[in-house]
Amino acid sequence: MKATGKNKIDAILRACRLIMRLSQGSPNMRQSQTLYYNMLIKYFSRLLQAHENGEFVAAHTVFFPSELIYAMDLVPMHTETTTWMTALFTGECSDILAAGSSLGMASEICTPHRGLAGAFATGALPRPDAMLWSNMVCDNTAKSGELIMELCDCPGFFIDRPFKDSEYEFNYLVGELRDMVQFLEDKSGKKMDWDKLSETVARMDKQIDLIRQVNELRKNVPTPFRPQGFLELLTIDYLFPGQPEAIEYLETLLSELSESVKKGEGAVDSERFRLMTFFIPPMYLMAFMEKISQEYGAVSVIEPFFTFWGEGRLDPSKPLESVAQKSYMIPEMRMFRPLDEPALNSIIDCAQQYKVDGAVFYADVGCRHSCATIKLFKDALNRIDIPMLTVDCDVVDPTITSEEEMREKLERFFELLEER
Amino acid sequence: MKSVGIDIGSMTTKAVVMQGDKIESFAIIPSGEEAESTAREAIEQALNGTETNLSNSYLVSTGIGGKSISFAKQQKSITTCLARGISSLFPSARMLIDMGAESSTILKLNERGRLTDWLGHDKCAAGTGMFLQQMAKLMQMPLEEMATLSLQAKNPAEITSTCAVFAESEVISHVHRDPPTPREDIVAGVYSSVVSRIMALAKRVGIEKDVAVSGGVALNAGLVKILETELGVQVLVPEKPQLVAALGAARIAGENIEKA
Repeated sequence: MKATGKNKIDAILRACRLIMRLSQGSPNMRQSQTLYYNMLIKYFSRLLQAHENGEFVAAHTVFFPSELIYAMDLVPMHTETTTWMTALFTGECSDILAAGSSLGMASEICTPHRGLAGAFATGALPRPDAMLWSNMVCDNTAKSGELIMELCDCPGFFIDRPFKDSEYEFNYLVGELRDMVQFLEDKSGKKMDWDKLSETVARMDKQIDLIRQVNELRKNVPTPFRPQGFLELLTIDYLFPGQPEAIEYLETLLSELSESVKKGEGAVDSERFRLMTFFIPPMYLMAFMEKISQEYGAVSVIEPFFTFWGEGRLDPSKPLESVAQKSYMIPEMRMFRPLDEPALNSIIDCAQQYKVDGAVFYADVGCRHSCATIKLFKDALNRIDIPMLTVDCDVVDPTITSEEEMREKLERFFELLEER
Repeated sequence: MKSVGIDIGSMTTKAVVMQGDKIESFAIIPSGEEAESTAREAIEQALNGTETNLSNSYLVSTGIGGKSISFAKQQKSITTCLARGISSLFPSARMLIDMGAESSTILKLNERGRLTDWLGHDKCAAGTGMFLQQMAKLMQMPLEEMATLSLQAKNPAEITSTCAVFAESEVISHVHRDPPTPREDIVAGVYSSVVSRIMALAKRVGIEKDVAVSGGVALNAGLVKILETELGVQVLVPEKPQLVAALGAARIAGENIEKA
């Protein structure tokens, strides 16, 4: 297919609409899922039509505080999630990965980033009007933003988030955010709506609280949330921070889960294995992952570094400071900070609270950051006699792990858990 | 009812027939293209001379072809079967190093002989039985001769453990060197290369005594000796190391008969 500047977005939209059409009236489709797909359709439709509608597209990497983009009424484009969604909904993204490789990007580079470079280079994604990126969590993003800026010939802004956590560093980060707002105002011609940012921050605070409540319900045996449902929470956080539709989705989900708990209904017919998940399962195998989870009664009940928010509240009266504060609370941030004894103990505590039988670490071969934590987590969980399976895989590249390999590894692990 | 375990490996298929805790017979045959017909052949061979047939036995299958056996009553993963098999032979074993034709796996066991962790490599020929077979072909000597020759090595050759293709080039250069590297030193170097690959896995899991070995590669006494030196402990070697998984499968079959 010839790149049109929109074809990956088109493909995602077609898939979402097809899911909605096929599941209309299906008793298996929860209302929260309908809201979820509608949100995706709205997000990607807006992106697809942004330039025709004269809107300013601000592309940004993962963990970038897109509350600021929403508050300025610009169109956000979450770059990594767009690559994931391509793999999730189209089954593969070998064309954009190959295009990334042909730019000279080594196969060891994180595939969402290699794919992004390929997608922008071939025009498979719309050209952003500005590229925004940061060094929050991931080093790949720090380099990727620069490359996308070069490939798309667009202006860009890099938020330098200090590694340390003192008051001085916090104020420095707030300064960086202020400069970024100035940059966006200059480039887009739009002004920051500080009242809107305050409202967004207030909703983000509520959003975090709702996710905490969802997690509380997941402690129940049987757990009420779908085996891979946490990926929905992740997408909500990444694409809709502090947005009204995110609140609506989470409130609906919470009410559905509460109802299931009241009725004693679990997410799988017969819950056998309660799992703790580290990192992201391959997106191109999601249908299979759901199937094998149902087959074996295996459910992810907690993801300490994806859905387990750090302590703290956001203060709408100090919106910019709150956006900075949020960066200290996001679950992934704790995985990529120094993993000291309290941090490792928090995993143990989490495993006990959620009555975890075993853990699965999806070791993304392109993410050296997360792979460096494997032994630490495994040793920590072994202290309380919880085994951990490590599966070498990739979030989007199907050539690393096939469905058969994934099945074999998971089945071996489920047997191990059963034999105990 | 007899309990039968069958392990369909990439090179050989192994069948073990048990009555209670006692091994009655076994068979080891080359794996054919059709897992099901090879399995039938191995079982028939193992049952030959007994009054048992498939209809009055409980069969558990394992190995890479284990899922293809339609007449098996149960399929179990190779790791579960290895753990069960080795703990029945050596109850004190806390670590098993399985060295098969196409993969090496390190297993950790608890005091009940149950699997607690495993780590394997199966994406590369280096460090596997296939690699050793290829080296034997290159050295123009049978595997059995290699196994004893290495014990005479005085100065083992340095051979890479990262890639089977590079290792093969290195062996060729040792053979054609003037003067050529002594054959026993080359063989010891080949074994060291396999062992270093296994040691990398073992260290990641954590070495714990008692250590046992299984798989066809464990038949190489020279390799086992190098492994013992590297591990710093004596390893437990079953009489028929290649039968451990089939034995484990037969044990599970026996447990299922008891439960029924």
